[in-house]
Amino acid sequence: MAHNPEGNRKQVHYVGDSRVRADRPKLYPPDYSEFPGKTEAFIPDFLLKEWMVAAVFLVGFMTLVMSELPPLGEKADPTNTSFLPVPDWYFLFLYQLLKYKWASGPYVVIGTVILPGIAGAALLLAPWLDRSKERRPHKRPVATGLMIVTIIAICALTWAAEAEHEKQLESAPGRKPKEAKVIAADERGYQLYKQSACIKCHGDQLQGVNGPHLIGVGNKPGMSAEKIIEIMNNGRGMMPAGMFQGSKEDQKVLAEWLMKQKQK
Amino acid sequence: MSKKVSRRKFLTYMLGGTAGFLGAGLLFPMVRFAVDPVMKKGGGVGFVDVGMRVSEITDRPKAVQFKVHRKDGWYQPEEGELLTAWVMKDEKGQVVALSPVCKHLGCTVNWDSNPQFKNQFFCPCHFGRYYKDGTNVPGTPPSKPLDKYQIKIENDRLLIGPVNKA
Amino acid sequence: MLRAIYDWVDERLDITPIWRDVADHEVPEHVNPAHHFSAFIYCFGGLTFFVVVIQILSGMFLALYYVPDIVNAHPSVSYLQNELAMGAIVRGMHHWGASVAIVMLFLHTLRVFFTGSYKHPREFNWIVGMLIFLVMIGLGFTGYLLPWDNKAYFATKVGVEIAASVPFVGKYIATFLQGGDIVGAVTLERFFALHVFFLPALLFMLLAVHFILIRRQGISGPL
Repeated sequence: MAHNPEGNRKQVHYVGDSRVRADRPKLYPPDYSEFPGKTEAFIPDFLLKEWMVAAVFLVGFMTLVMSELPPLGEKADPTNTSFLPVPDWYFLFLYQLLKYKWASGPYVVIGTVILPGIAGAALLLAPWLDRSKERRPHKRPVATGLMIVTIIAICALTWAAEAEHEKQLESAPGRKPKEAKVIAADERGYQLYKQSACIKCHGDQLQGVNGPHLIGVGNKPGMSAEKIIEIMNNGRGMMPAGMFQGSKEDQKVLAEWLMKQKQK
Repeated sequence: MSKKVSRRKFLTYMLGGTAGFLGAGLLFPMVRFAVDPVMKKGGGVGFVDVGMRVSEITDRPKAVQFKVHRKDGWYQPEEGELLTAWVMKDEKGQVVALSPVCKHLGCTVNWDSNPQFKNQFFCPCHFGRYYKDGTNVPGTPPSKPLDKYQIKIENDRLLIGPVNKA
Repeated sequence: MLRAIYDWVDERLDITPIWRDVADHEVPEHVNPAHHFSAFIYCFGGLTFFVVVIQILSGMFLALYYVPDIVNAHPSVSYLQNELAMGAIVRGMHHWGASVAIVMLFLHTLRVFFTGSYKHPREFNWIVGMLIFLVMIGLGFTGYLLPWDNKAYFATKVGVEIAASVPFVGKYIATFLQGGDIVGAVTLERFFALHVFFLPALLFMLLAVHFILIRRQGISGPL
């Protein structure tokens, strides 16, 4: 790199020199110069360290990129009523805020304008709200405290939104596989299925109506007859508990029949 | 002094090396992504039955239109892409299918369309001319003969394939 | 050789003062991770810029294949991701980079906040930083729609609904964002234009101011 530490600049002749000179005294002396310590030149000493940090960062970043494919869903279909909308994760906290009673319906302004407005304005005007000369976080407890409370609130809201979304996903009517067929339709399990309340939400062909489809439920990872009985008894997501009213034996038959619903 | 300079040099080289690593790490996937169409072999267009009997072909060039299905990135029209060939029999009775794309600047040539130049292919853009066998008439703008399509004959039917790359 | 080129340019433009200001300015010990490991918190800003560079580069390359149009957007994204060499990597860099940029920006903001670095005389740079944060959020919101999959479409609908609930001006904001009455063809085109022209232009200006101010004012002193 063409660097000129000796400073033997050639004489350049300009007509009417209005440029800023290099040897002009600085307006803002950096305040850390008052502190003893080892300072370093930006190039190459410090930049090398910064770029080494960047190299480590890049390796980590590329590992993430290569291990997780960027998701691409199905083409947008405005008529799809079963799709559960979810914003990108950094908007989740705001999204969750709008679900609470005091920030929705007639009070939606609280969630969309007032709270974000107050937080945004406070953040923007922080230098004028926190005017003390003190910089250490524990010496300005109000600013530090408010910020910590805000971070905790954002994390909690994001977590709540994520948890609720997961729960909804479990019981949402998903998209059924293309080749949907009831397997072993002549067995008693199917009769039991049709007689019970299952059919109302999961559909007569297991296609899913208000609840998710059950096609291929038999080869869901971790699914077993016992697990199905447990879900029938305790409910899951939006599904209420105790939906199967018949005898224990019938329930077992039904669960085993459901386990036969396997898709390739 | 000399020690100082060598340390500075060393740091500068390290800096260059790190910059190289960062730049290569970032740019390698992106550049590979950008040049992928160059690296890919052309997805050859197959032979297409143009719906013409070989016995119908005369020694007079006839414009034949046919459709090829070419995958153009994510775009692949259902109905295919319409191409034209000038089909005729040469003196030896061999079937020839000429591309209508003028070798000068890519306009479309026409057979016998200019009364001044009978029995020649004529390009209206810059008055390029070709003889019946596709050879460019010397002294006109084109510098090469018209391209020939690869052809196949199966059961008396004419099939046209990709353009023969000279 | 390099020396000769440098001299030739320097004789005409007198770049040495600028170069020396950039190259030779002293960086204090308390932000140097080689002296104190805990000083890595001072790297967040630089790393955010690094991610922004990744975003700009990968975005430029994605634009080689992407089409902002409701018929072709999804097929073109699917094509560039599934049928081109390294397509999944380049799109992955842009997709995950967006999230990483927000995380780094958040960490950088917190570092500045907790070290009280926004105080006199750096108030103005704090404001610029907040504006950068807003622009980045805007880039995230507009970029989310571009693949035109269900997730993108419905998230944008929700986002526009939220904007519409703002009193008085809400419905004008919503119509402006949508470019009409629904989230559709015009919306995709505007989000694309905002995402690749308007917001990046704004971002570049703000970043330039941010860096010039850091250079003028120096890094805040040790605690």
